[in-house]
Amino acid sequence: MASSEENEMYSKKQWEGCMEIAVQTARTAGQVIREAFKHEKEVSTKSSPVDLVTETDRLVEDLIISSLREKYPSHRFIGEESSAAGEKCLLTDSPTWIIDPIDGTCNFIHSFPMVAVSIGFAVNKELEFGVIYHCLDENLYTARKGHGAFCNGIQLQVSKETADAFTHGDLQRLGCVNYASAAESLTITSHLKDGAQEDMSKALILTEIGAKRDPATLKIFSGNMERLLKAQVHGIRVIGSATLALCQVASGAADAYYQFGLHCWDIAAAAVIIREAGGNVIDTSGGPLDLMSRRIVAAGTVEMAHYIAQEIQTITYERDDHNAN
Amino acid sequence: MADRWQDCMEIGIAVARQAGEVICEALKNQISVMSKSSPVDLVTETDQKVESMIISSIREKFPTHSFIGEESVAAGAASKLTDNPTWIIDPIDGTTNFVHRFPFVAVSIGFAVNKQIEFGIIYSCVEDKMYTGKKGKGAFCNGEQLKVSGQEDITKSLILTEVGYKQNPDIAKTMFSNMERLVCIPVHGILLCSSIRAVGTAAVNMCLVATGGADAYYHIGIHCWDMAAGAVIVTEAGGVVMDINGGPFDLMSRRLITASSKAIGERIAKEIQVFPCGRDDGKD
Repeated sequence: MASSEENEMYSKKQWEGCMEIAVQTARTAGQVIREAFKHEKEVSTKSSPVDLVTETDRLVEDLIISSLREKYPSHRFIGEESSAAGEKCLLTDSPTWIIDPIDGTCNFIHSFPMVAVSIGFAVNKELEFGVIYHCLDENLYTARKGHGAFCNGIQLQVSKETADAFTHGDLQRLGCVNYASAAESLTITSHLKDGAQEDMSKALILTEIGAKRDPATLKIFSGNMERLLKAQVHGIRVIGSATLALCQVASGAADAYYQFGLHCWDIAAAAVIIREAGGNVIDTSGGPLDLMSRRIVAAGTVEMAHYIAQEIQTITYERDDHNAN
Repeated sequence: MADRWQDCMEIGIAVARQAGEVICEALKNQISVMSKSSPVDLVTETDQKVESMIISSIREKFPTHSFIGEESVAAGAASKLTDNPTWIIDPIDGTTNFVHRFPFVAVSIGFAVNKQIEFGIIYSCVEDKMYTGKKGKGAFCNGEQLKVSGQEDITKSLILTEVGYKQNPDIAKTMFSNMERLVCIPVHGILLCSSIRAVGTAAVNMCLVATGGADAYYHIGIHCWDMAAGAVIVTEAGGVVMDINGGPFDLMSRRLITASSKAIGERIAKEIQVFPCGRDDGKD
């Protein structure tokens, strides 16, 4: 097993190479999904009646893992379907691929056109790059730590306040900057895209319901939306794919995303993409993002992220690493 | 007689495409926003510009026709549907999405004669998807014929709706409890669950039902210009439109259920608690 020091010795070029392979693999997987999209799907359920899986999910995950394992036999893998089959979600210092073969399986089953492949990569428990591929629209979202975020080659930028821009120093003081990147300091110190949102009352917010559907959970879910609507946000949207929703935050088309119930394989790639686009990802408690916690708040600005974290009531889900000890 | 309004439809499609180009161009630039009846009822110059463009292009070809357009009505025009050939227009359905550059924005053009909707055109411009439906002639998206999912089991369905700010807290509570009831339906004590989505435009929601990508869409509080085109597109794809109480569809009622089957539509009607939303023709 590779030590921390050995991992440090890997040059940046190494991860770049890995990312290129990830992109190719995501595109290939996306094509398989696209072809299967129009056809009848055989559906099973996992942890609950709304936690759905198809043969395509498993096929695509096998395809991705075997392609990557061939090139990188010493690397580790955390995948949605492997995890469902009993593998532990343990994140070590080793180079680790964190994979959702089909994000938006319910959409896939219905042929609702929001489906993505998500491939994240971590070393020394730090997220290094992310690739998210919208299979139907063929939009490729990528980001590598320190190198910006892109969609089909066009640089992404979250929505930001134009007046009162915070300095990098202010954010460090607030303890909000735990992730340094050239892109981030650039977006903070210069006034960028117009029409953007630190003021809750003009925000477009995305979320998802999550797998728990008991009445008590649904009341909390509605209550959270109701509270945000009362603050006169412009709107709340639900598209059925956490990774694609997070990409909308990265592109600036949405101002924030929050959810309880998603998994580490939904968060891993998107977290890098949002950070590299100048945005923030935090825990719903307001603390730093916890990859295995099953929850997230993501926003263009730190203020927006913290405001939402404050407003929403928690819905508890079992951690992804619950059996990893 | 079935092809009687074909020439109108062709003009409508050309105008919708042109409007879509204006919208996509505007999406690249800064958007200045105003509000109408409330701080979350948004309108932009593009809405107004596009509606004027659509109406003047059509009026040039068909000077005797009537028009009901969202922005004209906001400016004080009547929204009364007569027997006269009438174009029912939403220049930008999904204005909030448009303001944020959230990529679901559509031009919606419906056409009614003798109060019957003859054809509908919905152009989802960011996706470049041109949806059309003509009475008796089927529904299409970019030339490909559309068919609803045919789903009859609500516990397996994907349902679209929208959640918006409601001034009245009782109405807000009803809106949410409707959603909760639909998301989770107890059958013999087991919770069986459908899924809910909200993309932010009624017109696109209706098209998604027509494609089979969703099984139903319900809403209380939209307008005739949001529903007119979608209604004929869904029915021509084999689906149903009905009033929120399960009765016949009423274009001016500001509410509807559209679904892949009568069974789903009626089940939704059964679960929904209705709240008042006014009418477009003021006939409260």
